[in-house]
Amino acid sequence: MSIIQVENLVKSYTTYKRGSGFGDSVKSFFKREKVDVHAVKDISFEIEEGCICGILGPNGAGKSTTIKMLCGALYPTAGKIDVMGYSPAKDRVKYVKRIGAVFGQKSQLIWDIPPIDSFAMNQAIYDIPDDIYEKRLKEMVELFDIEEVIHKPTRVLSLGERMKCEFVMAMLHKPEIVFLDEPTIGLDVIAKTKIREFISEMNRQGTTFILTTHDLEDVEQLAHRVIIINHGEKVFDNTLESLKSTLGNKKIITLTLAEPYKGETLGGVEVIRGDNAHKVSLEIDLDKQGIKEFLDNLSETVSFLDISIKELPMDMIITRIYNEA
Amino acid sequence: MKHLKLYRICLRTAFSQALAYRADFVMGSLITLLSNILFPLVTVLIYANGATFPGWNMWEVLLVQSVYSMSTGLASMVLSSIVWVTMDHIRGGSFETVLLKPISPLFFIMATNCDVQSISLFAGGVVMAVISACHTGVAGIGAIGSFLLLFVAGFMVLCGMDLIMAAISFKWVGNSRIPEIFDSISNFGKYPLSIFPQAVRVFAVMVIPVAMIGFFPASALLGRLDPKAYLSIIPCALFMCFGIWLYNKMILLYEGVGG
Amino acid sequence: MKKLLHMWRECKAVAFVTYKEWSAYRTHSLVSVFVGPVYFIVQYFIWSAVYGGEGTLAGMEFSQTIRYFGASALIGYLTMDFADWNLQMLVRTGKFLTFTMRPIHHRFFALSQKFGHRVLGFFFEFLPCFLIFIFLFRIDIRPVSTGWTLLSVAMAFLMNFYVNYCLGMTAFFLVKSSGVRVMYQLFAQIFSGALIPLNFFPDVVQKIMLFLPFQYTNYIPAMVWTGSESIGSMGLNVPEAVVLQAVALGLMMLFSEALYRCAIKRFTAVGA
Repeated sequence: MSIIQVENLVKSYTTYKRGSGFGDSVKSFFKREKVDVHAVKDISFEIEEGCICGILGPNGAGKSTTIKMLCGALYPTAGKIDVMGYSPAKDRVKYVKRIGAVFGQKSQLIWDIPPIDSFAMNQAIYDIPDDIYEKRLKEMVELFDIEEVIHKPTRVLSLGERMKCEFVMAMLHKPEIVFLDEPTIGLDVIAKTKIREFISEMNRQGTTFILTTHDLEDVEQLAHRVIIINHGEKVFDNTLESLKSTLGNKKIITLTLAEPYKGETLGGVEVIRGDNAHKVSLEIDLDKQGIKEFLDNLSETVSFLDISIKELPMDMIITRIYNEA
Repeated sequence: MKHLKLYRICLRTAFSQALAYRADFVMGSLITLLSNILFPLVTVLIYANGATFPGWNMWEVLLVQSVYSMSTGLASMVLSSIVWVTMDHIRGGSFETVLLKPISPLFFIMATNCDVQSISLFAGGVVMAVISACHTGVAGIGAIGSFLLLFVAGFMVLCGMDLIMAAISFKWVGNSRIPEIFDSISNFGKYPLSIFPQAVRVFAVMVIPVAMIGFFPASALLGRLDPKAYLSIIPCALFMCFGIWLYNKMILLYEGVGG
Repeated sequence: MKKLLHMWRECKAVAFVTYKEWSAYRTHSLVSVFVGPVYFIVQYFIWSAVYGGEGTLAGMEFSQTIRYFGASALIGYLTMDFADWNLQMLVRTGKFLTFTMRPIHHRFFALSQKFGHRVLGFFFEFLPCFLIFIFLFRIDIRPVSTGWTLLSVAMAFLMNFYVNYCLGMTAFFLVKSSGVRVMYQLFAQIFSGALIPLNFFPDVVQKIMLFLPFQYTNYIPAMVWTGSESIGSMGLNVPEAVVLQAVALGLMMLFSEALYRCAIKRFTAVGA
């Protein structure tokens, strides 16, 4: 059953151009030049209940505008959004009670006091009964292992500790959908892992997550579904597996050569990258030739000391999709 | 009921927040207090040089100005954060964190950002008002009653101003000087209204009723209030309503309803 | 000579960049164009009530007092800066380090920035208000002696800068310097003469003020602007006042230099 339905979503707005020199400043003081921005052009998708959906796209692609509309913070210019039967912007107050949001770069905790006090404030705002609040808090605090952290002033916490508290803050009221915007930005590996585990656990308990990020590891480890937005349009929408095979069945082969590389084709395949004179990478399309066939061909034509065969890395796939659009 | 409980929790939070920087808090309060004492200095100097505001003695003028301090002190404690917080959110592009709360954005910002430090401004105003009133005398219990009534009306004017300023900051992004505009206009409420020409008086009573911030309530205490002043409670209430309407309108615009 | 030429070019470049940078906020100056005249109107009514029929108060005639307030506001637009805020921010965030690695003295850099910033202030604050005072309010706000006024305002410009720069330098010595700065601003508000001409203060206070920087940033230049023949309790004439201002500025520059050396020593010893 789909929990989010988006049909022909459009968002455009007008801003004003600003000049720089003295002449411009005088001119624009009186008359400003209008610029129309079409942030989201025509996007439709549905998201199933209980899944983790990654929304990807380069900077300025229209991702965060889409998220803001899904959260109810922005009205769409045209199109329809239906989340759990609500129209987010119209039914905002009722709607936001059932969702949560974590913005990696916009803290919702109060800077000078311990997170526990911010939590208590949220309890009042979301009207959470005491017993449920206690239970929920205990559960999440244990999951994150932050019993002590929540009693220290927020300003002395490390970024990782703070992000964990942001998650607790956003999920105390047991939201059915949680929007995450760059939740792991700037975190170290351990904190990232911890947060990903938390998201997976909450997802197992039934929470739907919508995740925007530039960290592809987040996507690879968490997302079931991936939607890619570029220039305000949806350019990809399918499962993570199909994203991986979207460019065909390809492998990256890295060779360490016995002789310096001189620019020839190797085993009939173009070299895509040369790290140094002896180390080069090739990309082969398995739909065109089998791996055995290729290796036979290769070992006949070149002598190499080492070889590794890998999947096409995620960033390469994403880069190509971004560039294609 | 829910709002009241929430406001109490938020106040407690605000206090613990202020106490997190004790030294700063004390220092800040001291400075506010000092500037409070120094603001009527001009009046004192004028009288010390043998001049007067015609028809008013020094303590009467000081009473007007201390009531003004009380009003603005109270307003900056509970209201002025609306301006700064809105401004910061708009500039930082984080206003949606406010919209994500299942509660009126206006109430949320007001409740979660009480400026405890301004209590010293209010307290300073009270002390000065008491001292001045000791010299001028108070015209009976009824005078205190009508003072309170008019004081509340003055507070509504300040409320309206703060809301209009915050509303402006949606459009005039990042302009931290917006409050200066209203500070300058409020100046007309710091002095006996009689020194201004007719046009200014009409403005200060009917359009943006700044006379209600200091002058009218103090006049009530002194027993020299023109009964017509009660009528200008109406524009005060209207002014506040306008502020609320404008602020909410701006939120709608921010969400992109019309634009 | 070559060095001077180089400095001129540096100053111009920095000032120009600052000008462009702040141009983005030029609509903020509109606030001044509103606020300045409104304050002026308030002052006008206050003082016309206070003067009533009286000829002079504290040695000043009504028309002179009015021109004084106009001049004082205009001087504010020409000389204000926030070098103090800027420097303490650089020190606190550690960004000052990047300046110790550049072949330019930070004070000179900051002064050049102020030039650029004030050129903007000249066009978007000073000029509109000046014209409003003259054409709308019909107040003859033109300086009595242009030469002396220019000199005096130029020195007020520098005085304000050196004082603020010193205030900013307190950040090298104190963890939180905001208290010192707010305190200074509080006193400056009263004793610079922006609120009320210093003539209204008791003699003793006026004597003490001779030895403090406040009055040289606003009161003296405003009095010079109005062409007062007897400035303050000392009854100085215009040239005397300007000379006094020059002496005060010289002392302030020396003090600033001494403080800077101290601060740099501390900065390099302690690190960012």
